[in-house]
Amino acid sequence: MDKKRAAFLSIFVFLAVNVISLARVIEGYYGKEYSHVYPFMFAALISTALATVAFFIWKKEEYKN
Amino acid sequence: MTEEKKNKNNSSDDQDMMKLVDNLNRKDDVNLNRRAFLKASFGTTVAIGLATTPFGVMSAVQNDKDDSERVEIADANELAVGEAKNFSYPTEGDTAVLVRTPDDKYVAYNNKCTHLQCPVFYEHKDNVLLCPCHKGYFDVNNGHPIAGPPQRELPKILVEVKDGKVFAVGREYRHG
Repeated sequence: MDKKRAAFLSIFVFLAVNVISLARVIEGYYGKEYSHVYPFMFAALISTALATVAFFIWKKEEYKN
Repeated sequence: MTEEKKNKNNSSDDQDMMKLVDNLNRKDDVNLNRRAFLKASFGTTVAIGLATTPFGVMSAVQNDKDDSERVEIADANELAVGEAKNFSYPTEGDTAVLVRTPDDKYVAYNNKCTHLQCPVFYEHKDNVLLCPCHKGYFDVNNGHPIAGPPQRELPKILVEVKDGKVFAVGREYRHG
């Protein structure tokens, strides 16, 4: 799989990770299980950072020509 | 309209049509296509990821305001085995029940039923906590629901017996 395609697909993986993380964070917050909130919040933030990297890799490859 | 004017218009129409070709190319990049779809997906990913942070901040704030205040509830001899007493902890609005169980242990829970907030009572005969509204039963030893509609446990109030007095020292929402 080339770099561009991998970056393209990984964004959707990170999107799925963030959707699940947000659901868990909300559940943890309203269920007053605060210890469940932080791991999923960090997972979402790391996933967002990786998605940003993937997006710029894709953009660089996409607009190369 | 004269023939000359007509020709002039035609030539300007052609010019516009040529410009439209540029428009089409530009539009191709803006309207829904593979690139735009990915950009929208990326934007959604970032928005959802960042949406988790307010909950993290609010959780930290809530955690700081913990209920670790120490409050005297009763004298240790005030309750006989199998008796219960109502009190409020940590605020006046958070009603609770202190029970001296048949095994001579003190346990306390906020007594708003986790189903629809009805008050929960200690039923000495069956040694259970009972919500009479919809017949919800909770285990007196751990506050977990054992029958009826409630799905979640009652918030547990941590108690400590010291110098012949029973104190409430904290509260746990999810336990055991």
